Amino acid sequence: MSAPHVLIIGAGSTGSATAHDLALRGLRVTVVERGEIASGTTGRNHCLLHSGGRYCVNDQEGAIECIEENLILRRIMPHALEMNDGLFVALDDEDYAFKEKFLAGCAACHIPAREIPVQQALQIEPFLNPQIKAAVQVPDGVFEPWRFCTSFLATAKKNGATIRNFTQVNDLVFQGRAVAGAQVFDHRTGKTEIIGADLVVNATGAWAGMLAAMAKVDVPVAPTAGVMVAIGKRFNNMVVNRMHLPHDGDIVVPIRNTSIIGTTSWRVTKPDAIEIPQDQIDKMMQAGQLLMPILKAGVQRGVMAVARPLIASANVDARDFSRTFEAFNHRKQSGVAGLITISGGKTTTARGMAEKVSDVVCAELGVSAECKTKTTPLISYRDFYV
Amino acid sequence: MQGGTRKKFVQLARCANTLMAFDITLRMFRYRPGQAAHFETYAVTVPDAANVLDAIEQVWDKHDRDLMFRHACHHASCGTCAVRVNGREVLPCIAPVKNYLDGAKALTIEPLRNFSMVGDLLVDVAPLLQRQETAGLVITRPVENHLDGKPIASAQGLDPESVETVPFNRFEDCIECGICLSACPTMAASTKFFGPAGLAALKSQLDKTTDPTERARLLDLADDEQGVWRCHSAWECTETCPQNVRPAEAIMALRQAILARKFGFGK
Repeated sequence: MSAPHVLIIGAGSTGSATAHDLALRGLRVTVVERGEIASGTTGRNHCLLHSGGRYCVNDQEGAIECIEENLILRRIMPHALEMNDGLFVALDDEDYAFKEKFLAGCAACHIPAREIPVQQALQIEPFLNPQIKAAVQVPDGVFEPWRFCTSFLATAKKNGATIRNFTQVNDLVFQGRAVAGAQVFDHRTGKTEIIGADLVVNATGAWAGMLAAMAKVDVPVAPTAGVMVAIGKRFNNMVVNRMHLPHDGDIVVPIRNTSIIGTTSWRVTKPDAIEIPQDQIDKMMQAGQLLMPILKAGVQRGVMAVARPLIASANVDARDFSRTFEAFNHRKQSGVAGLITISGGKTTTARGMAEKVSDVVCAELGVSAECKTKTTPLISYRDFYV
Repeated sequence: MQGGTRKKFVQLARCANTLMAFDITLRMFRYRPGQAAHFETYAVTVPDAANVLDAIEQVWDKHDRDLMFRHACHHASCGTCAVRVNGREVLPCIAPVKNYLDGAKALTIEPLRNFSMVGDLLVDVAPLLQRQETAGLVITRPVENHLDGKPIASAQGLDPESVETVPFNRFEDCIECGICLSACPTMAASTKFFGPAGLAALKSQLDKTTDPTERARLLDLADDEQGVWRCHSAWECTETCPQNVRPAEAIMALRQAILARKFGFGK
């Protein structure tokens, strides 16, 4: 008897990592993605490999997930990361007063952290605001989102998975109330076809609610947009964060030859092609310059906005939604078998999300297979095109 | 909805009303295997700060969800979105629409040349990525010892107790976008040509290694009739590269290194 077939919808970071996880466990895997790999939320990413420092005070669950996954990714995809750590800097007395909380938060979440004398921090990062009052180093890093996903997918493909980008799901197909696959439209061929599956994984992130609606089930995903501004020069090697609770425009991530200032946070109703308000861009530029005044002289290279797939909580402002993730088994929640939604989280925790949803998938299919992704190095992203 | 969030929405709505916006026309290349290629024209409205990729995405969002185009990072790091705008290769994610608005407000968008066409703006980039893999270019390298002209100190030497510090690294400039291959007249004459991106990758990797076996392998790949000797020095690659990789200069440097090896000088 051949292994069960799992259809994963969405090839962002979550879908890509899940394809890798399930393929390693010996399942038959097909991934469909309506466009290019990582063309949704994952692509328009801040590219921050979180140490967890950003969340260590107000969202310790999210912070612990971040540091655990950060250390794993350093082992399995070292070739696809800039590993230069990050600095949290205090700009004013209020930030400085936050330092003790910040260090205590790092300790509580087991995030390695060390305070660096201000003079030394300014020698390492000469474009920091010279007025900073304190600097703490943590193991942040930088990834490149498209290569992050294609590294997982190349490895999944080597292990037998079928990856079909430019293939759009028109509708789910059912046996009784249970989901039994999807009707897809292949943009390359112009053909509509049915892909049957023993289980369907909804890894569509900010679009998860729209996909779930095809099965008439709900997922509490709140598409929450954020703006990022890319400056056409690299002015820092370490990620520079402001030492306070996450706020608009309080982080500058260097990647390749650019610096990305981010980010804002507001709820959107429709996750496609988000229009970017000019005042959000101006806000980013102003706040970024507080951290690094040189950014004023930089040329804006690109501006992007995209919706994060956060898990909504009642009576909580979008900025304060937890960055943790959740797997929803719709058979247990609404009596619709054959469909599991994975959402929330962030690219840094994609592997952990994949492990969690793959555990649920295997339990649902009666497959006993251990997760092996923590220790399996990924092959070159370029092998996606073999 | 909470009070603070609602206030933000109202502010955003007011701001959106006062924003500058452009009405533009996109002449898009449309193609599917077995069908005749043609252009279709779409009218879109984009904000003042929009890049060409935003306009392409508007066409997809508002007019035709069957449009095939590649995009991911929207800040010139992934290299997927490269196309030709009014005949020239660009990364539309960093090409401001307003740069194209002299006279007729129409932009012609076509796929890259010198690749097999898949559909619309989508081309088959497999040959490019396979050659990059053959070159074995590792996509990270040590950082420069300065940032925008200012010297940097290493974080090494700090109290090593809590955080492990390794020398700073960064991603290579080349984003494997395919622009240089599209602009290269030699590539148009021979698809077997190793290509400017691949040859630049050989040079970058050569700079990273002192291992004689690896250096010999890299120079052997370059020293081929489809390698550096095929290049006609049109310099289009360096001219069009959005990342300042300078493939043409890399090709010339490889020729020197090959000759130096052949005649045993310049060690």
